[in-house]
Amino acid sequence: MSGERARSTRRFAFAAGHRYWVDGWPAAENERVFGRLTVPHGHNYTLDVTIEGPIDPRTGMVIDLAELKRVVTEAVVARFDHADLNADAAFQGRVPTTENIAVTVWELLAPKLGTDRLVQVRVWEDPTLYVEYRGGAR
Amino acid sequence: MIGDPVVELTRVYHASAAHRLAHPALSDAANASVYGACARPHGHNYYIEVTVAGRPDPVTGMAVDLAALDAAVDRAVISRVDHQTLEAVPELAGVITTGESLARAFWRLLAPELPEAALTRVTVVETAKNRFEYEGGAR
Repeated sequence: MSGERARSTRRFAFAAGHRYWVDGWPAAENERVFGRLTVPHGHNYTLDVTIEGPIDPRTGMVIDLAELKRVVTEAVVARFDHADLNADAAFQGRVPTTENIAVTVWELLAPKLGTDRLVQVRVWEDPTLYVEYRGGAR
Repeated sequence: MIGDPVVELTRVYHASAAHRLAHPALSDAANASVYGACARPHGHNYYIEVTVAGRPDPVTGMAVDLAALDAAVDRAVISRVDHQTLEAVPELAGVITTGESLARAFWRLLAPELPEAALTRVTVVETAKNRFEYEGGAR
């Protein structure tokens, strides 16, 4: 048997600080729109990265999870763990909302993993909120 | 990439409620036969996951107004079912309160409260072992 497709998801974690703030707005407007989210705070983020592909007939694997771990650790976890997201180049002019973090993680991983393999990133801000991005636009 | 990215945001809510599975036209013995232990009055710590799709606003980065979503879900669903007996909730009249039927019922209560086409999935997690998802209809 060959060519049967499956998905593998590996979970990662990073703790990061952020606040919601639009540099071009006066403080009062930021506070009106974002409220308490304007105060610097942080989260223990959880990241689920999903890879899809054929099950390799020799190895039985969709992807070598050690490779996935290395790529995601280098591209995302090492960059964002114990970091101030607002200071990161990826979030200049882009508020580090959970939505934008998911899109950013996708943009960091897609060139390294390929969009033929990377099918979804899911970013959990806390156990009550997550955002999924699959590379789609409209 | 053409256009703006579309993400799906899921928020997890909680409600504790009592229920039993029983068809009103069936006898107690028949309900016990069909539904087993679930025919006896009991309860769950439900987790209700609401998924909405949207484009992160290019300025605020938010695809969804979370405060508005929380208020809508609380108004349409949580405030009606939390610490209630589901069979006594007027908005659930006629619903056999299986997880899948609750997911559909909650969708119907919630959809009119949200921006058009934003709602993509309602998930009812009845226990750590049982998870039910409804995405709005047939296919």
